[in-house]
Amino acid sequence: MTMLKMVVCIKQVPMVSELPWDSRTGTLKREIAEGMMNPACKHALEAALRIKHEHGGHITVITMGPPMAAEVLYEALTLGADRGILLTDKQMAGADTLITSFTIARAIEKECPEFDLVICGSQTSDSETAQVGPQLAEELKIPSAAYIESLECWGETIRMKRLSDDFLETLEMDLPGLVTITTRHFHPRYATLSGLEEAFQFSDITILSAEDLGLSPDCIGMKASPTRILDVFSITAEKENYVMKGAVKKILEEVFEKFGDKISSAMGKDLKTHEHSD
Amino acid sequence: MDFNPCMKHKLVRKTVREFVETELGPIAHEIDKDARFPWEVAEKMRSLNYFGIQIPKEYGGAGLDSISYAISIEEISRVSAAMGLCITVHNSVGAYPIVLFGTEEQKKRFLPKLASGEQIGAFCLTEANAGSDAGGVETNAVQEGSDYVINGTKIFVTNGGVCGCALIFAVTDAQNPRKAASVFMVEKQTPGFSVGEIEDLCGMRANPVSSLFFEDCRVSEKNLIGRRGDGLKVGLAALDTGRIGIAAQALGIAQAAFEASVKYSKERQQFKRPISSFQTIQNYLADMATEIDAARLLLYKACAYKDAGKNFSPEAAKAKLFCSTIASRVTGLAVQIHGGYGYSKEYDVERYFRDAKVTEIYEGTSEVQRMVVARHLLSTPV
Repeated sequence: MTMLKMVVCIKQVPMVSELPWDSRTGTLKREIAEGMMNPACKHALEAALRIKHEHGGHITVITMGPPMAAEVLYEALTLGADRGILLTDKQMAGADTLITSFTIARAIEKECPEFDLVICGSQTSDSETAQVGPQLAEELKIPSAAYIESLECWGETIRMKRLSDDFLETLEMDLPGLVTITTRHFHPRYATLSGLEEAFQFSDITILSAEDLGLSPDCIGMKASPTRILDVFSITAEKENYVMKGAVKKILEEVFEKFGDKISSAMGKDLKTHEHSD
Repeated sequence: MDFNPCMKHKLVRKTVREFVETELGPIAHEIDKDARFPWEVAEKMRSLNYFGIQIPKEYGGAGLDSISYAISIEEISRVSAAMGLCITVHNSVGAYPIVLFGTEEQKKRFLPKLASGEQIGAFCLTEANAGSDAGGVETNAVQEGSDYVINGTKIFVTNGGVCGCALIFAVTDAQNPRKAASVFMVEKQTPGFSVGEIEDLCGMRANPVSSLFFEDCRVSEKNLIGRRGDGLKVGLAALDTGRIGIAAQALGIAQAAFEASVKYSKERQQFKRPISSFQTIQNYLADMATEIDAARLLLYKACAYKDAGKNFSPEAAKAKLFCSTIASRVTGLAVQIHGGYGYSKEYDVERYFRDAKVTEIYEGTSEVQRMVVARHLLSTPV
């Protein structure tokens, strides 16, 4: 089979699980945290690296973000990717998933027109929408399969497995196509220190602005994004402890007196009318 | 002057931290308790180039710069100082003298095996009657034709129990005090090379520190590193690079103790509030953070001098002196903050406290570092 030309889309996400919300811009304050490669993207890269090592191939990694997002490209090069593309431009900032997909698609068409396979992480740890991968396939007008757990190449087609409602599906797709990878398999390898040195010594990273892509400011970034996030908050589980003291009989009576309704609803039975069956 | 780490150094830290926290973190306590060398982790480190961090690429190493090297040692030692010790001694005094003084033939013969970790390296200077005073070395190497026959005993050899080869500091011309010693590369399978009992030490217990015995141990003159009589020069240059590694190790221990202290002081409640709300504890934490920051800057300055090809000997001595001093102080405060728990083997700060002390002793004691610094500043014209 011919060597696959792969494009892996990766994203830099904050290393901490919760970030403060900037109510002024309606986005997360990403700049205050250390960045890392989104876990699912790292698994996607691992899937590409395994194909490359088994069958040969060329891997381009692409990311969109501020200049510091180049860090995840270097990390990918360290791990064995061949080329990095950074889409960075203040005009691109604040893009929702639709416009992110649109922008990345245009970059792939310009820089990797001959691609066979696009691999994305199934979702990102900082927004969890899982939308960019499938939307990107629509933008590129290619077939796609999401939440893939294993991947085999068969010439011009790929065979994939995914877990869906407790069933293991086996799918086949003609290339060019796009898959999104979960974090269940394709456990990422560790970077070698020599790979790290090489990534910085012989780095092949292309930096592209909106102008380089021929995109008008009106069709990118927050300006073009139809989605407005109004609020983001963490769900907190609140617990209240209630200490009961005294004789056991008295405590039991008190439990049913105070929490009888809650116990009833948890059991799905009306305790006041329910008779013990034995 | 930019105090932000560059992207490369950030990625080095992230890469090493991810590996050691995953692979070494879960066993760091146990390998110290059982005084066990973690071969299973060393095996993985071999394939990821941890044994050739600064060895040039053409000899199989990663060819990284000194700051990357220091960051790597710092991160390994933050999790397990004993494993940090293995890696730093191997890379610096165990292998680097060959990079600096080896002939092309020696580099091709020895460096690939060291870089891949197939052979773990060691450096043998200390003897029963010699340590800070290298002039007291009694191990001797007598030339017989094109061979040298080595006899003597080296003590407190880091990696002694696991080394595949060692650089031996031995007397070749006792009559010539300035050119008395030479350094030889001796492989473990050489007849007459044997390993003593593993030392029962206070800290660094997962590193098999031992004596090495040389009894009519015959090596080719092709194993002489540098010229005959250049032992002191080779040894001192080796120690300069070694000091960067030990400073980084001490810094890593201090960092671990500091992080544990911040976490514990926020959790530990006394008088119905976290102890971090007390000014005394805050002062401790502030002092620890300040000293660690200062130590890191001093260390990276020494590394930058080395990478720029400057004389970094006094900088390395200052860094080693300061990093090891603050490591002992910071780990002592960490135990204090943890109170009785800090004195218990259940908590890691007890291990950090034990591990920190020796950084003030090996690779030149703090007293020797002061000697190096003072000698330099007094010989510099004002």
